[in-house]
Amino acid sequence: MVATANATRSASPRPTARKRSRPKPVFAIVALAPFIVFGAIFAAYPLGQVVRMALSDVQIRGGIFEWTWIGFANFGAVLTDANGLRSLGNTVIFVAATVVLSLIVGLALALLVDRAITLLPLARNVLIWPAVIAPVVVSLMWLLLLSPTAGGLNKALYSLGLPLQGWIGQESTAMAAVIVVDVWHWTPVVFLFLYTALKSIDGATLEAARVDGANEWRIIQHVVLPALRPAIAAVVVVRVIMGVKAFDEMYLLTSGGPNFATTLVTQHIKTLFFDSLQFGEASAFSLVVVILTALVLGAVLFTRSKVEK
Amino acid sequence: MSDAQTAGTKRNLGVEIALGVVLVLSIIPIAFTTLLAFLPNRAIVSSSWDFPFWLGNFERVFKDGIFIAQIGNSLLIVLGTVAICLVIGTLSGYSLSRLHPPRWITIPALVIAGFIPLIPPMTLLPGLYVLLSDLGLIGGVGGLVLVNAFLNLPFAVLLMSSYFSTIPEELREAGIMDGASELTVLLRIMLPVVRPGIAAVGVFTAIMAWNEFQMGLTLTSGGATAPVTVGIAGLLQPFAVTWGELAAAGTLAAIPIIVMSIFANRQIVAGLTAGAIKG
Repeated sequence: MVATANATRSASPRPTARKRSRPKPVFAIVALAPFIVFGAIFAAYPLGQVVRMALSDVQIRGGIFEWTWIGFANFGAVLTDANGLRSLGNTVIFVAATVVLSLIVGLALALLVDRAITLLPLARNVLIWPAVIAPVVVSLMWLLLLSPTAGGLNKALYSLGLPLQGWIGQESTAMAAVIVVDVWHWTPVVFLFLYTALKSIDGATLEAARVDGANEWRIIQHVVLPALRPAIAAVVVVRVIMGVKAFDEMYLLTSGGPNFATTLVTQHIKTLFFDSLQFGEASAFSLVVVILTALVLGAVLFTRSKVEK
Repeated sequence: MSDAQTAGTKRNLGVEIALGVVLVLSIIPIAFTTLLAFLPNRAIVSSSWDFPFWLGNFERVFKDGIFIAQIGNSLLIVLGTVAICLVIGTLSGYSLSRLHPPRWITIPALVIAGFIPLIPPMTLLPGLYVLLSDLGLIGGVGGLVLVNAFLNLPFAVLLMSSYFSTIPEELREAGIMDGASELTVLLRIMLPVVRPGIAAVGVFTAIMAWNEFQMGLTLTSGGATAPVTVGIAGLLQPFAVTWGELAAAGTLAAIPIIVMSIFANRQIVAGLTAGAIKG
């Protein structure tokens, strides 16, 4: 059958063949429609509701929302709220630290795995385990290690006769602990991006550099890193987005404490909306976060296109 | 993409040792949790290291049936999410990459696909809460299936579309010329070719739906209506933490996923690096 079809096609003039085989747009539209309907219902409509809520005073009476239009008052309240501003600051620190650290560790891992022989098959499998475990379970696992009262780390310190630490229970170390947990959890993603990119570098270039007598470090610096630049840029964007979205880890490990030291924007929105029932302010703060994220990503993508030119 | 050697071929002991250390660090939290799952609470909180093997934690986790109900909820959410993502991901991915739909419909589709992954779900939550209340879907598995499907659809559509775009246009044309309908071409000719893509989308959305927590926490009323991740978080009571039960529940949630990642390594790697397509 296929052979006949080919024969017919090669016999008939090309334009006719193309015209006849042009997909019926009806099927193309019907096939794409469910996705757009889903997006419209679950993204456009909620976003519209968030905007409406942000501009209203919303009270809940008898399980029904009551809306009163109040303009931009919620934004004023949100932008002067100390806890909200603190959560923005915390998120900036959290995102910057987790992106930079996971990039460094992920890059080192990709280079290590690329040079490993004995541990290669094991590493390619085990290294992605942290990334497939639920964030809630990851924070539970680290809670069992980092809890100041029953955690494994303090138990180990005690056995060695070393002073116990507050870890997640103390303001000065809680953020660092949360950052370490996030880096443990998501470095595999960075590793996979960079390892894949590393594997697609042209072997001949490297061979040439090696024949010229360049040592490993110079090869990494002058051949490997420049070749990895697009992959690094892509993974930075991905990790920034993941950092702004982060919620589950904090929620179980510290629930934003102690004393707001680890409250990220997501935790703050959740508290405003579900715990203090300040629906308007929660929505206004959500929009501030969306706009700031868009600005940061816009800046990253802009510098990236400049650099690539 | 094959194993073109980026580095030399000689074994380097320093490299192997450094990598070994990282592997141990990757495994410690998982192994420690699994170990505690088999210990009674007094052995966990005591300052000495005893390991009396004990199955009581699992017994307690399962005792009142709520944890089982939560696992059931999570499985239903996974099934529903994967089904929706596979059907819509395949149809819409195929349309986008091979059927050249008119601009007025591709542009909104690409805006949605690019936009949803960028915004923190938490910022949409006030709106999603209003939406699900309007639809009467707050607190049920059905609402969570729809929300999870929505969160994973951009990934499913883009990944399927990138798999479809590797198929030569001629294959479709040949089928159409033989008199097959568009749907038959998709089902009989295209689907068998993109089977690896279907597997990657299926495995990865299953993991994402099983692991989801924020929406389960905020859009259900907890207890037997919640998914398993919310149930695990609920074991952490402020004043009476039962560490062993916590470890047992965490082990039960993590080990199946890890076993799956051993057998479906390729699909998971495809899922985790899918963002590279856009980059």
